[in-house]
Amino acid sequence: MPYPILDPTGTTTTAAKPQPARAHRRHDLKGAIVGLLVNTKQNAAPFLDEIGRLLVDQHGARGTVARTKVNFAAPAPEDLVKEMAASCDVIVTGIGDCGSCSASAVADGIVFEAAGLPAAAICSDAFKVTADAMAGLRGAPGYRYATTPHPVAVLTAEQVKQRAANVLDDVVALLTEDE
Amino acid sequence: MTQTPDPEQAQAAIEYCYAQGWSDGLPLVPASQPLVDRFLATTSRSPDEVIGEVEQVGRDCTVYLAAVNAAMAGCLPEYFPVVLAAFDALMRERAARGGGWQSTSGPAPMIVVNGPVRHELGFNTGGGAFGPGFRPNATIPRAIGLIVRNAFGIHPHVLEQATQGLPGRWSICLAENEEESPWPPFATDGGQSDGASAVSATLLRTCEFVDNRHTPDPEQVLADIADTISRTGSLIFRDTSAGVVFCPEHAQMLAEAGFSKQGVQEWLMEHCGRTGADLRRVGKNGLRGIGRFADPDHSADDTFSRILPSPLHVPIVVAGARNAAISMVVRIFGEWSGTATPVAPVPAALVRP
Repeated sequence: MPYPILDPTGTTTTAAKPQPARAHRRHDLKGAIVGLLVNTKQNAAPFLDEIGRLLVDQHGARGTVARTKVNFAAPAPEDLVKEMAASCDVIVTGIGDCGSCSASAVADGIVFEAAGLPAAAICSDAFKVTADAMAGLRGAPGYRYATTPHPVAVLTAEQVKQRAANVLDDVVALLTEDE
Repeated sequence: MTQTPDPEQAQAAIEYCYAQGWSDGLPLVPASQPLVDRFLATTSRSPDEVIGEVEQVGRDCTVYLAAVNAAMAGCLPEYFPVVLAAFDALMRERAARGGGWQSTSGPAPMIVVNGPVRHELGFNTGGGAFGPGFRPNATIPRAIGLIVRNAFGIHPHVLEQATQGLPGRWSICLAENEEESPWPPFATDGGQSDGASAVSATLLRTCEFVDNRHTPDPEQVLADIADTISRTGSLIFRDTSAGVVFCPEHAQMLAEAGFSKQGVQEWLMEHCGRTGADLRRVGKNGLRGIGRFADPDHSADDTFSRILPSPLHVPIVVAGARNAAISMVVRIFGEWSGTATPVAPVPAALVRP
């Protein structure tokens, strides 16, 4: 009787993961407090600040609350999610522009959705494969997020503003449209 | 003529492993239960014990999975305590617990083995320290790579996003040349007693040689090493970390001139760095927190910025042959934990004759 070749992955018993909840969408962003979750990557803060400014100026959002996630590779810590869920109505997170932080920006979006907040993750388009893979791991295959062309880190302040303006419609759609 | 194992069957088994997506590109040893049992018999740890996890991808590695991957990497069962010690040492690195395996940097583990286990298991402790050619040195780091791929599920182009990676990923395992080193073993710097079998590990971004057979002056040799450490291309943050794997000849020259390991570290901390003008020329002169950026301001052009904040940021190992004055700067990804992990003794029942 020959021996079977052993599996080195430990994933032979893959139970289907429960699909995480998606937050109820608002009609629009009038009066909403926008949470900006910044991942410390170069240009992430000015990019999200500009998104926040445009959402206030052009879409009637009431204000923004910016928070920084120090460990960009990991999903946002639970206390930060709780704090932002209590003080914000919608979340914009990013910019996913590295190997681990793109995946974790998507993971954050999924966590905030489950906490009841519509979320828009923004990743650079060079990291779509890893962002999609993370969505699958989190039980949300096909999770939608916004993309901006790579690179982001070397953009000038003016170029960052232009990029934010370019991705704004996608962000609004992610936060307000039912799937 | 002696009977050899059936190559057709061996090939079929190897191709099966490729087809499952388990391979790092090279052929694997197909793992069977009896082989993996021999690995598990070398440790008193439970096969179910979790020895590492990557929280963001929701995967972990048990002693059992480490054994399967080590067997597939080509390790002998008696290497397994070193694989476990190396993995424990690596999981103490912040970058290895965080996003390091997914990083665009594509970092390579560097494993350093000290003590009697080097000779007991037949590690290369001499020339060609960075490989290849020696089974324990080659297969133990490969086992780490297979654990990351298979147990953690971090595959190239998917969750692993290395831009270029680096030569030597999953293949750097140095056995320190303690016999020709003038200084205490590296594991002693990591908190183990002299003479202990122990493993240290960190992550590297690259290795860069310093060939200086040109001068009898040890400070000129150190200055040559400092120049490589101070290269701007590798400078990302305010501080950096770069170890030196000294060849025995450089190490002995320094020791004869009165340099302890700590003396070398202090010399390098003092002399490694760049002027503001150098940094401005490459767009890295500005500091925002610990991050660097291109600041048009010229006013700090004459300032010399040191980049190695502590001896921990300049770990020193001695490896290689005593046949030329060639040392290696090893560029560390993040920061070495400063600890070494003892190799647990193999239960007597398994020791080979």
